[in-house]
Amino acid sequence: MRPLLAGLLILLAAASATAQPRTVEVRVPRTFGYFLGDLVEAIVEVETEPGFTIQAASLPQPGPVTYWLDLRRVETETAGTRHRLHLTYQTFYAAIDARTLEVPGFPLVLTSADTHGATTAPIQVPAWNLGVSPIREVQPARRADPAEYLRPDGQGPRLDPAPPRTAALALAALALPALLLLARDRAWWPFRPRPARAFAEAARRLRSLARQPDSEAGYREGLLALHRGLDAKAGSRLLADDLDAFLGRHPAYRPQADNLARFFAASRLAFFGNAVAEARCRMPLAEAEATARQLAVAERAA
Amino acid sequence: MPADTFHIAWPRLRPGLLLALPVLLLAGALAGAVLTWRAAAANREIADLEAGRDRPVATDAPAPLLLARVLYLAHRDATEEMEPLVAALETRAAPALLARARYALGNARLRRALDLIERSQLDPAGPLIVLARQEYRRALQARPDFWDAKFNLDVASRLIRDFPEVDRQVGDELKAEPKKIWTDIPGQPRGAP
Repeated sequence: MRPLLAGLLILLAAASATAQPRTVEVRVPRTFGYFLGDLVEAIVEVETEPGFTIQAASLPQPGPVTYWLDLRRVETETAGTRHRLHLTYQTFYAAIDARTLEVPGFPLVLTSADTHGATTAPIQVPAWNLGVSPIREVQPARRADPAEYLRPDGQGPRLDPAPPRTAALALAALALPALLLLARDRAWWPFRPRPARAFAEAARRLRSLARQPDSEAGYREGLLALHRGLDAKAGSRLLADDLDAFLGRHPAYRPQADNLARFFAASRLAFFGNAVAEARCRMPLAEAEATARQLAVAERAA
Repeated sequence: MPADTFHIAWPRLRPGLLLALPVLLLAGALAGAVLTWRAAAANREIADLEAGRDRPVATDAPAPLLLARVLYLAHRDATEEMEPLVAALETRAAPALLARARYALGNARLRRALDLIERSQLDPAGPLIVLARQEYRRALQARPDFWDAKFNLDVASRLIRDFPEVDRQVGDELKAEPKKIWTDIPGQPRGAP
């Protein structure tokens, strides 16, 4: 009981000792010469005992302060025991002569939270003076039409088409080399067929043949096209017996091994067995085309 | 090994990437071209409005086009038609354009008020001046360095001064009355006939 009481007494003593902040100061970079609508910056500096902070709920809220003054922004900044409030006001006082007005002060609550609970201490930010100035003479020259006293409506801006135009041109300029890269990868015009894209050429030839009406000549030509592709890829005339060795050298085409074997069998039938009908039954042109297409895909990924 | 993964993954990805790249770039170029064309079309309409040829402007039009129509209407002091357009501008993130629109609305109201004062109709002029001052004040809240608005707010403020006692709590804002709700049916017969 006794140590607890002693602790409580120490706490009370500490609370009363820290209840008073050392200083509250309002600093205004300029206190005179404000027109209506001007922004007024003010800095409130509060020096507290260690451990105390400004309670966020006690900060002034942005909004109207008096009929001629708005508070627009409140920012806090803390460095050790020094707390700083950056206040931005906006004055709407339509002055006829230069005069000094009082900006009202406001209360703040300091709080210190420790293991024994929170201690709070109210402080008052003092009012300060602000000098406002007139924007026009007291009695302007007479005008025939009172609307001439007003400033004109003015003009609005136009839309700026330059940024989207620049972006469109830049993207189009980048698309051109991208298209060239794609054309080179697929051996499209203006790039010539080359050994590295031999199957692309064969697949293209077979596709155009598949679109034409069915004929024996077309079928033979299709088989020949795939033969030429295989020859170009192998670097020499490729026969059915060389297929295994070829697939050993180019493992990327191994998934098509069965189709290629059927292709060679059909080719043998068509060109040497004189049995084109049977060959077409074993390996229709559409399948040869699909095989060539698969080979071309594998070729691009190799 | 990331290097090994790259060497395996790159050849497989390359054909797809090479196909996607020009497609995406051309799509972006097309979008840019459409935006450019729209900006040019809006600028032509703004030029028409500035030349005094009226054009209907929808509330979802680009902000500068909305402002051009507001200024066109302000020139004719058509305040009622301006209000929905100014309200539409409020939803855009264009404080400078909104300030100009509010200023033009304030000017139109103040010109009508001055016209009424010229004809010695002081009673209807009062509310118009108060509303004009509100618009100038809001224009300055959106753009504090708007000197024309400061000047005209000063002109309006000399016609009707602020009275500290009247609106100390509310500033220049008029608070809307909460909607009155009937808690009883009026005129319902009660008791004996």
